[in-house]
Amino acid sequence: MNVILAVKQYISKMIEGCGGGMKVLLMDKETTSIVSMVYAQSEILQKEVYLFERIDTAGRETMKHLNCIAFLRPTKENVDLLAQELRMPKYGLYFIYFSNVISKQDIKVLAEADDQEVVREVQEFYGDYIAVNPHLFSLNLVGCCQNFSWFPPVLSRTIQGLTSVLLSLKKCPMIRYQNSSEMARRLADSVRQVISKEAALFEFRKTDVPPVLLILDRRDDAVTPLLNQWTYQAMVHELLSINNNRINLSTVPGISKDLQEVVLSAEHDEFYANNMYMNFGEIGSNIKELMEEFQKKSKSHAKVESIADMKAFVENYPQFKKMSGTVSKHVTIVGELSRLVGAHLLLEVSETEQEIACHGDHSPLLQRIRALLASDKVRHIDMLRLVMLYALRYESHSNNDVSGLVDALRQKGLSAEHRAMVQSILDYGGKKARGSDLFGNQDAVAITKRLLKGLKGVENVYTQHKPLLFTILDQLIKGKLKEASYPYLGTGQLKDRPQDIIVFIIGGCTYEEALAVHNFNRMMPGVRIVLGGTTLHNSKSFLQEVSTAVGSGGSAGQNMRMGRQ
Amino acid sequence: MNGFFKQGSGNLKRLEAGGGEQAVTMSADIIEGFLCPICMKDLGTVSQLQGHFEEEHSSEDKAVFQSLKGFFDKAKKRILGDKLETELTPGGEPAKREELGGLSGYDPSWWEEQELGAIRSHTDTFKSVRDARVDHFVVETNKLLIRLDKLLSPEAPADPKKRKAFERAVVQWIPDNEVSACLSCGRSFGLLTRRHHCRLCGRIMCDRCSEFMASSYAHKLVNPGHNFSGEGFLKRSSSNTSINSLVSQDGESHMRVCKTCRKLLERRDVMTEQRNTKPAIVQIYDKMKMCISDAEQILPDYLPMVDSLSQGETVHNFRQALIMRTKLVKLYEAVDQLSKKIMLLPVPSDTNSRQLHLQKSIRIYASNFMQENLMGLQALPTEEEYNKLREARAAEIQRKIAAERQAAMDAQERERRERLARDSQSGNALSAEEGPQFGHRRVGSSGGSEQSKRKLIANKILNSAGSKSHTRSDSEGGVGTDKGWKPVEESTRAQKVSDPMLQQMEIIKGYIKQARQAQRMDEVVMLEQNLKELTAEYTRQKQQESS
Repeated sequence: MNVILAVKQYISKMIEGCGGGMKVLLMDKETTSIVSMVYAQSEILQKEVYLFERIDTAGRETMKHLNCIAFLRPTKENVDLLAQELRMPKYGLYFIYFSNVISKQDIKVLAEADDQEVVREVQEFYGDYIAVNPHLFSLNLVGCCQNFSWFPPVLSRTIQGLTSVLLSLKKCPMIRYQNSSEMARRLADSVRQVISKEAALFEFRKTDVPPVLLILDRRDDAVTPLLNQWTYQAMVHELLSINNNRINLSTVPGISKDLQEVVLSAEHDEFYANNMYMNFGEIGSNIKELMEEFQKKSKSHAKVESIADMKAFVENYPQFKKMSGTVSKHVTIVGELSRLVGAHLLLEVSETEQEIACHGDHSPLLQRIRALLASDKVRHIDMLRLVMLYALRYESHSNNDVSGLVDALRQKGLSAEHRAMVQSILDYGGKKARGSDLFGNQDAVAITKRLLKGLKGVENVYTQHKPLLFTILDQLIKGKLKEASYPYLGTGQLKDRPQDIIVFIIGGCTYEEALAVHNFNRMMPGVRIVLGGTTLHNSKSFLQEVSTAVGSGGSAGQNMRMGRQ
Repeated sequence: MNGFFKQGSGNLKRLEAGGGEQAVTMSADIIEGFLCPICMKDLGTVSQLQGHFEEEHSSEDKAVFQSLKGFFDKAKKRILGDKLETELTPGGEPAKREELGGLSGYDPSWWEEQELGAIRSHTDTFKSVRDARVDHFVVETNKLLIRLDKLLSPEAPADPKKRKAFERAVVQWIPDNEVSACLSCGRSFGLLTRRHHCRLCGRIMCDRCSEFMASSYAHKLVNPGHNFSGEGFLKRSSSNTSINSLVSQDGESHMRVCKTCRKLLERRDVMTEQRNTKPAIVQIYDKMKMCISDAEQILPDYLPMVDSLSQGETVHNFRQALIMRTKLVKLYEAVDQLSKKIMLLPVPSDTNSRQLHLQKSIRIYASNFMQENLMGLQALPTEEEYNKLREARAAEIQRKIAAERQAAMDAQERERRERLARDSQSGNALSAEEGPQFGHRRVGSSGGSEQSKRKLIANKILNSAGSKSHTRSDSEGGVGTDKGWKPVEESTRAQKVSDPMLQQMEIIKGYIKQARQAQRMDEVVMLEQNLKELTAEYTRQKQQESS
């Protein structure tokens, strides 16, 4: 149940299957991302793969002395390009791997193009998703629905992605889905159709307890993606955006040229691997440790006097260089994060956000929100988020003052389009849209729990929020997840507690949820959970998701939203 | 690496994972084991590592936390808040540490063995479709080649009229009246559009669809050894060249063929070409790879040699190691040279050339390889140094033998006393002890018994035969307390033994000596194993006898 390893093993197997000699890896846009998440270029280079080419690059040089590993998604476009390539082969031999199921017809098209007999292998290797962490994958699809129903191309890509996860992990699961979501039901149904159509593929060794695939809808928990984050990975994504492990730092004031884009990969960066789930304060001390270690090393490197020193220097140089890269990278990132936190009052904002999400005193909170909206330091996007959270939380509160807050936003100069998002979030994730009890209002037990918690005082005001996913998984693991809300597809039912769980969130998951899953994996021996989503959200991308979901897209949707306003 | 990650628990998981990661990233010398992530010391066991870490580094951590105060501004400390304080109280520290450690990004369970995901092959379907199609080409092409061969034969008449008859004899031409339009483009024939025959398949086409194959290219097709350069085909130039002329301006004769035939012949040509030529880069690259694989074969033999020689041991031959080292260095040099040569191969002047990129990548590959291996190539001691080492070791061994004798005697002495004491009880304790491990001895002075004495005897014999012995005795601690042992006695005792097993052992020792002189290391290892087993068995028997 490690998605990174699953994809990595596929890639290694491809390279192995190609034999010795110089190799080129031919990919499309998506497979390039897929490969880059699990392999560093230098790592792949040591396997004699010297060139990386995109199949849609026109006028590639002919190099018959290279053997070609083609790793492509089975799209029509790729099949056409590949057939064209085979008619006029640029490389010596071709080993073709499709990332998903390909039709017999397409195979025929390719075979008929291969007059020069350059193709050696044609196989399906199901690495058709972006493996982010060992327990986390994404499909990089923002905006998966329009007018609250599936956008067809996104649905079919999601089906492909999700089934390829199952195939790469060799799981043929029982499927459960969120009953309140039509989209979840439809996806669950489609996945099952693929499983029964490709029954031979899904024949794996039976385990005592069958794996479970749980399909959820983001609309049930619109709060989590709106919150500021304080663990390293989540925080970097929220404030700087992580895109396929890359972070664009070019907007950071006074950044040096080689740090404009940095890569954060737990596979290749030990410091990151050890700190990605640490909170911001802890990272500060760890960075300091790292710097001290580095200084110690550079000091010892500074005095190269004897031949022995020289030898030691040369021997350690690659590590030294690597370490200096790591140090400057993380120092820059953490520096920028703390600058942003200070400049935009993020601590105050976050504390208020957490209060809204977790506690319930309306009037003092309203005061705090008003105060923050009056500040000049708070960013517009944070103001908007506060009002959106408030609207979600107090949607049915008799004294709620959403319109007053929206008016305050207007005075602050937020555009009509942005202000309309407050209504949009209610349409997207408001009471009517939800199937579960997001704020724990009705449940008496939950209320007493909250009261008790309030009495004891909380450990950390910035991380008190627990995503809804936490509760759902907790119930699922204990075998208490209600069947009425999360029915099984088909007749089968799980009698034992589940062991292998794949959770997929339509509309995207977040790093906060990834951390929750990580903690489950760590604390519950015997339970293995993999989390995935159509994408990995931060608040910005989530707002985008909401606005495509609400409108039918384009200006008409915007007008409609403004009218409501 | 898997087993490595699986061990330990709680806070140690992080420590190990940390150490393991370092081991992975340090390409030059990979260290495995229970490493302290801070000082990289190998501590052997989980509990030792834990103890070491708590003793040595917990204070450092505290210092870091304290110095943090100046490093981060107030705001961030608010997040750590109460956590920071609990961290600083010494009592609660281990528990907190565990919590922090567990949060690290690497969970050992993720690195469990995982099968390769599902795969499905379409290669067979693909090949069956392709082969059906390609077979047809092959048959056609072969037919054309046979005809071409005939047409090009020296017996073919040169006279245009006779030649035409000859051509028609080789290939049956389609009669003019059967075809009213060009079979290729569909233009209808008439006064302006004349009919032409393909000389290879006999089909009719118009002049626009005709291709002209140079005869030297044709020769090359039939005979791959034929020297050929230039264009294989010409389009008829629209200028004043005569249509019917088989000779173009540069004096080379050409043959009229149709497009289909041209395509088939060219396809074959490309394929043969590719099979038979190796560009310079491939030749150099192959050589480089050969050097790399040679080096990879030698290295695992060489490394233990250096280790053993720098200990002053005599198992391996110094000169042989020297030869191996020279060989390795030469191979690395060759890899370096060849990869440089690849990098400097001429490329198209295009600045964005992929060929250039390829050549640079190969160079990076080679230098990575050398960084990993050449840097780790330990130097041999010089011959002089080696001789000194050897003498030092021999002296050391002598010293140890003496020490062990004493220890053994000491033990014997004690045992005698113990036996006396035990006589009242039932003396069955000895039989519980099983055969000793020869060669890798970890004899504690407290464990001295009949067993270790027997071992000593055998060991002494071994040493006198010039054998290697991994003496890693821990017995020094108990040495020298008791004095009264007489080595002469010991040796006479050893000679007195006429046990057939001991004789057998002597014989094997002789073999080992011979094998070593003959540089048959494999056999030495095997014989030593035999000897070890024999010794063990012998000791066991003796033990049983004595008890």
